[in-house]
Order: sequence, then structure tokens, then C-alpha cells
Amino acid sequence: MSTKKKVLLKVIILGDSGVGKTSLMNQYVNKKFSGGYKATIGADFLTKDVMVDDRIVTMQIWDTAGQERFQSLGVAFYRGADCCVLVFDVSLPSTFKSLDSWRDEFLVQASPRDPENFPFVVLGNKIDLENRTIQSKRAQQWCQNKNNIPYFETSAKEAINVEQAFQTIAKNALAQESDQDIYNEFPDQIKLPGDNKLNNSDAGCSC
Amino acid sequence: MRTTNRLIESSEYVHFRSSVPLRNICVDNSKGESWKVYDAGPKIIRSPVIFLPPTCGTADIYFRQLVYLSSIGYRAIAVESPCSYWTVNEWCLGFKLLLDHLRLEKVHLFGASLGGFLAQKFVEFTYQCPRVISLFLCNTFIDTEIFDLTETSSLFWLLPTVFLKRLIMPSLITKSFDPDIIAAVDFVSERVKSLTQADFASRLTINCSASRVHIENMRGVRAITIMDVFDEYALSSPIREEIYELYPYAKLAQLKNGGNFPYLSKFEEVNIHINIHLRKFETETCSPRLIQTEAVHD
Repeated sequence: MSTKKKVLLKVIILGDSGVGKTSLMNQYVNKKFSGGYKATIGADFLTKDVMVDDRIVTMQIWDTAGQERFQSLGVAFYRGADCCVLVFDVSLPSTFKSLDSWRDEFLVQASPRDPENFPFVVLGNKIDLENRTIQSKRAQQWCQNKNNIPYFETSAKEAINVEQAFQTIAKNALAQESDQDIYNEFPDQIKLPGDNKLNNSDAGCSC
Repeated sequence: MRTTNRLIESSEYVHFRSSVPLRNICVDNSKGESWKVYDAGPKIIRSPVIFLPPTCGTADIYFRQLVYLSSIGYRAIAVESPCSYWTVNEWCLGFKLLLDHLRLEKVHLFGASLGGFLAQKFVEFTYQCPRVISLFLCNTFIDTEIFDLTETSSLFWLLPTVFLKRLIMPSLITKSFDPDIIAAVDFVSERVKSLTQADFASRLTINCSASRVHIENMRGVRAITIMDVFDEYALSSPIREEIYELYPYAKLAQLKNGGNFPYLSKFEEVNIHINIHLRKFETETCSPRLIQTEAVHD
């Protein structure tokens, strides 16, 4: 066990209804897929302990209802998010077009400290379907234009790429979390010009 | 920080105190001491969620939950036990009488620290005839041995307030820079002044006398959520692991930070978790919530 502080990573999954947000989360956490569709009400979450960069971190994955823009839970819901996962259905162009507004929605609500570099991950889900309409190239293009967001093509049903995608999500979330820590724990750290000298001189008094 | 932005002077708290009356309810006449009860939300609901405070807390420590939950149709009650209970058993018997008095057959319990421990013991206590539908446990424990005071606890009754207060002090000190956590500690420190020597002594006696939760008697509970904060608080890491192990199927509502009193400091996030915990009962008769389409008879 690492002696480092325990880490909680908050991950939020957004995307239109029916793109497979709940299924992706269930496939990743419970290794289960259920064919029936049941709309998520409000929001719910699952937790999973994962190994990232040789340390165990707890990932709290929030699944949201695609129908509503999440105003009902408000800003508190997004607070402290470390990574946002945007999901679309590769067989439904409208869900791909919505990515922009989901991303904007997140940035407005969560108002991260550094929106330009906030970690997003895009998942093109349902690649097991035959009637695919959004080609990889188009999705990759979109991701590149948004400051190189990592893109994965997944199938929650067939468990394709889900593990890999979430590993990247965890890694990027952890990097974000560590950045935030620096702000939170030493809010007023002031470096005095003489500090270095003091620390380096190992032989006592300098007066 | 003891100047303007004090939680105890905030409009939310003032509004709470002016809209939810504090009731004193005496359930066992022989002792003459009464329960302190804040009861918010629709009284037609017979299966409310009841909040049990930590050792150093008063019932109004949960005002932010009562305000929020009652605003969306839940009946939420915060209680504080009288100082006449010195054992877990006496407390459980008293709490059962309180439920009977309020005509609440089955309830959902939210307990923090000692409140969480007692909530679990109450489930055991009502094993034959279950009264608890679900448990929401926050920063709590399953064995009083962790305090390492089981031998001295029999003397608490004769110790002066100053000494007893020192035992709860660790909860009222924070190294955090987070303004919400500082404000929460300030609120609790202010409200703790209303507790008497007997309050401290009886609570600490229960808190520290040897007792442990027995999982085999807890089968009646249908849902458990364990809330835990990842920053510093009074209980150490092994204790948290112990409670996770006891309830492997519990939902883990973990917060990045929140200190000892997350329901005050990070109340919005805590409220979301409580809402998720209670929501699964929404379509049942044991739901603590009155759905808005029904007529409200308050």
C-alpha cells in the first residue's frame, strides 16, 4: 500500500439520452451489459478502485440523465470534477452534433480553473452496430480541434475498448487532481528571497 | 473569521430556526428529560428520514439537510437525545419510544459519528420487529474500542465539563484552509456551548463503553450508504476500512473533502447523495417523500 494520500477521482459522463452512458459505466465497473433500455433519472454513480501509475485511486463515476440538461442538480453536481467523458452514438449523427453543447454545458457549470486544459475524453459508442454513420476521421477531427481530446471507439455491449478508455480517463483525471491539490493545500505559500540560502547552508547560524 | 460570515448568523440558519420549531418531547416520564426534535416537511409521511447527531453535535447541525429535503417534499427530522441515557440499550429503548410517540412505524436513519453507531445498534435492537428501512452512515464506526477509553468511561459521569470537552476537542480543530470547513467547525463549536455536563458525560459514556455492531442482526435494512471524506477528520483510515468491510454491498458516497462535518461544510454534495440514497424508495409506501402530484396535507 502506498503511503501517499488517498485519492478520489470524480468523473462525469455526459451525452444525449440513449448513447450508452449507463451501459459503459456498468460494463466498466460491473462487467455487465443489459440489452434493455431504461432511462436514467437524475444522476447516479458507481465507484471503483483502480490502479493508476502504481497507486490505487478511487474513481467515482457519475452517470447522468441525457434527457435533461443537468440544471436540477446544479453546480454542486459538477463541483470537483476531474474528468468529463463525452459520449455519442456512432450510428446517430445528432448525438455527435450535441458534443459541442455538452462540452460547453460542462465548462459553464463546472467552471474549471483552466478550461483550456481540462481533461475531456470522447467515446464513440455502439461500434458493434452495422449502420454506422459517423466515421472515425470525423470524430478525430472534432477532438483535435478541441485541444486534442483523446478519442476512443467503444462498444459497451461487446466490451470493446471500454477498459482502455477508462484507464485513460483515470490517468488524465489523476493528473488534473494532482494539479488542483497544489492550489488547495498551499493557498498562501509565499517564497521569500532568502529561503533557498537558508535551506542549503547546512552549517547553522549565518549571522 | 469570527466576524461576519458566520454560519450561525447566516440567513439560512435564521430562516431554519424561525420556520421549523424546536419541540421538546418527553417519552419516559420517570426521568423527566426530553428529546429535542426538529420536524420538517409533510407530516402525512409516516416513514421519514431521521438525523442523529455526532457526540459534539446538536440536532440543528443538520439544518441544511432539513431545509433542502423538506423543500423537495421529504419529511426530515433531526433529533437530539436527552442526557438521561447512559447505555446503548437505554438509548435504543428511548428512541423506540420516540418513534412510537411520533407514530412512525418505519424510518430511514442518517447518523454521523456516534449517531451512526447508534443507528446501527438501533437496527440490531429492533431485529425482531424491524423499524429501520435504510441507513446512511457518515464518518462513523462499528466498534467503540477505537476510542481506547472503555475502561475510564465508567467515570465520565463525575468528571467536570472542562475535562469532557477536552475529549471531543479533536473534532473541533481543523487544519484545513477550506472556508466551508472552517465555518462548519465554527458553527459546531458555537452550538456545543448549549450542551451540559450531563449531555457530554452521557454521550461520551455511550460512545466509549465497550460495544460493537453485530452484522448478523442487521438483515432488515434494505439499503446502506456509507459516506466518507478523503481529507483529514477525527477517525483514522483503518476504521473506515473496517466499516467498508462490514458492509461490502453498501454504496460508497465518498467526498474529496468535508472534514468532520461534511453535512455542514459540503452540504450540497451531501444532499445530492442523500437524495440518491432515498430516491430508490420513491415508488414505495415507505418513501420519506411526498410526490408533488399528490395533495399536500401538512
